[in-house]
Amino acid sequence: MEIIITGLNHKSSDIIHREEVSKKILTKELRNEFIFNIKRLFNEETGKQLIQESAIISTCNRAEFIFAVSGNSSGDNKNIDYGAVIKNIIIKYLFGDNFGNEELRNMFYTYKNFEAILHFFKVASSLDSMIIGEPQILGQIKESYNEACEFKNTGLILNKLFHKSFYCAKRVRTETKIAAAPVSISYAAVELAKKIFNDISNKKVLLLGTGEMGKIAAKHFIKQGVSEIFITNRTREKAVKLAEELDGYDSKTIIDFNEYYKILTVADIVLCSTGADSYIIKYEDIQPIIKMRKQRPIFLIDISVPRNIDPEINKISNVYLFDIDDIGKIIENNLDVRQQEADFAEKIIDEEAEDFINWKNSLNVVPIIVNLRNKVNGILSAELCKYINNKDENIEAIVNSITNKILHEPITKIKRAEVDFNGLNLMEAAKILFDLDINIGSISQENKEIEKEILNAEEDGTDGDNANNANSAPYYNNKIIQLNNNKAK
Amino acid sequence: MIFKNYYFIPILLFFLSYAVLYIKKNNPYNSFIFLIYFTFVIQSVIVIAGLDKYHFTMIIPIDLMIFFNSWILMLIVILFELLYKAKYIVIYATPIVIAALLVSYFAPSMDINAILKVDSWLLIAHIVLILTGDSLFALAFILSLIYILQERKLKLKKNLKIINSGNKNSSGKNEGRLFNFRRNFNYFNLGKGYNLELLDNMNYQCLKLGFPALTAGIVIGIYLSSALFKSVASVKPIEIISLITWLIYAILLHERVAKGLRGNKAAMLSIAGFIMIILTVGFSLYLFPEFHGLK
Repeated sequence: MEIIITGLNHKSSDIIHREEVSKKILTKELRNEFIFNIKRLFNEETGKQLIQESAIISTCNRAEFIFAVSGNSSGDNKNIDYGAVIKNIIIKYLFGDNFGNEELRNMFYTYKNFEAILHFFKVASSLDSMIIGEPQILGQIKESYNEACEFKNTGLILNKLFHKSFYCAKRVRTETKIAAAPVSISYAAVELAKKIFNDISNKKVLLLGTGEMGKIAAKHFIKQGVSEIFITNRTREKAVKLAEELDGYDSKTIIDFNEYYKILTVADIVLCSTGADSYIIKYEDIQPIIKMRKQRPIFLIDISVPRNIDPEINKISNVYLFDIDDIGKIIENNLDVRQQEADFAEKIIDEEAEDFINWKNSLNVVPIIVNLRNKVNGILSAELCKYINNKDENIEAIVNSITNKILHEPITKIKRAEVDFNGLNLMEAAKILFDLDINIGSISQENKEIEKEILNAEEDGTDGDNANNANSAPYYNNKIIQLNNNKAK
Repeated sequence: MIFKNYYFIPILLFFLSYAVLYIKKNNPYNSFIFLIYFTFVIQSVIVIAGLDKYHFTMIIPIDLMIFFNSWILMLIVILFELLYKAKYIVIYATPIVIAALLVSYFAPSMDINAILKVDSWLLIAHIVLILTGDSLFALAFILSLIYILQERKLKLKKNLKIINSGNKNSSGKNEGRLFNFRRNFNYFNLGKGYNLELLDNMNYQCLKLGFPALTAGIVIGIYLSSALFKSVASVKPIEIISLITWLIYAILLHERVAKGLRGNKAAMLSIAGFIMIILTVGFSLYLFPEFHGLK
């Protein structure tokens, strides 16, 4: 099973392209449709149903698509780079005619297996974030995971990957000081406001939309002592809920979304983080407002992706507009601190990624074990049947017992070799020596369930509890037989 | 010793202040501002000595006049710095004081023969008001330049510093360098008081104070001129150019009060006004001193 991550983030692409991608996967339904279509296109392209698991991470700074594809670079699929195939399909799906654009293609990165795990853990631990150490990303990944589970897109591999990433992120947060004083977007927004206004305490803030980032930034401004905050949202209930969250702060007013315009004439700072897919504040609308404000400066922060404020507005004098990319770049230019902590964090991530890849590699041996047992089982049964009465009820138990005895040592060695990253040879050797026919991609869902059980049993076995292993052997042998029967069908 | 040689002392001390700002590693600003204050005291002593030489009649040579002007400008800069707690303003405004001092050093120092005996109080008021107005507008000019640069940074979103790293290099890589431009340049980026609103407010304050001073100065000047030439009707170039300058500031003040003009456009007008002042001074003192009645 290969883990493939492809996507684009704030480092690899500009906001315009991220916006375009974000629009196509804006809602839950769109994301589900996206996954469905990518799987369909992949099947058409390769002729096999190999995408077993999938998830989408969509935040304002990144859109990443995670896939678990059955089959690896061995066997029939040796020459097929599934990562490249998936990337092509996604770009084609997202950008259509622009598919061949080299610049566009370069914006998309693709990671596979260990690199993918490493990358994913970095993302979850907020090492790949625009603001290193910011806490929002983990929540966003958890939401993505819940959504993938809801649509039953995850399975053994991605479940483990997500859980491991949560664990890894927690370790990074507790064992390093990376999140001790994060330079967040809200911090940057406040600092930028201080470059425009002399005294923030007599300024009024308008919060347009109740997006997570906007919410945090609003709280930050409240901490700085702004005189009043106006909250508006298309769904009024959400605005009310947010107002309730700010219960320690009295000068808050919920206004009707259609009337936010009137507030623009009095508000000095506007935080915009709505889920709208087009501009809410347009160039032609802001000009009369500036006249009405008697040229008093206004600071607009657009934290939404797609952007909700027309970037042209920045050209109007006394209007200062910053979108998420602008703030990100400013932060990046200002960050030379915390690099040491990031180095510590990367060590933790390396450890966890290695741990995960070991576990994942141990999965590769399951089909070999199943086939090997099956083969030995078959030979023993056939040979014993020649000499012993066919109807002897003990024959199956004898066969299983001998199989276990013969294969215990080789299986343990193959598994260990696989975990220690030199397993490919032993697996290949076993396949060649015993002439095993493994087609991992064709394992059906039912078989996978059985495999899972076997895997768990094998995990117990590697702990050295041979007695336990021996006791449970008949049950798992039966399972293996069942698996083979299914395959034969 | 020729009196104007004393002018060189504040010039040297001002240069020394900047050298300290660049070279000193610990608390360079404190040493810088101490030296600036010290220089200002020296400058004040020279001004008093210079004016005393002419019995405070204000009928003084051009070089002393410019030196006096630079003193007023420095006084205004220091007052603004203390009033608005915009400490880095001294860093930006002192170069214009140094420029004025240099001009005064090279300016002719011949005595002025007053053509007519005029009421000395009116003459003093005329000179002090005009010089105060000019100095305030000079400060407004500096503030406008900073405003335009700061605004440009915000609009282009380039070189914006949001974290004050305290000008300390933790890695110690550049510690030994005499001119660590990156470190020293931080002073020009990290002035905490340098928000656009404050710059604009200070600019407005300069205008509010400078305009009445300039107006009163010009009115007294016209009165003195008429008394001098016995006729108000004879319009001299100095009066025309003064009127243009006055008009620029009048428009600026009107637009500010009536239409709330501020920011970039106000800064541009301030710059234009100051250029006119430089022209006026150039006209009146160097190119056509006769038009001012100085000859």
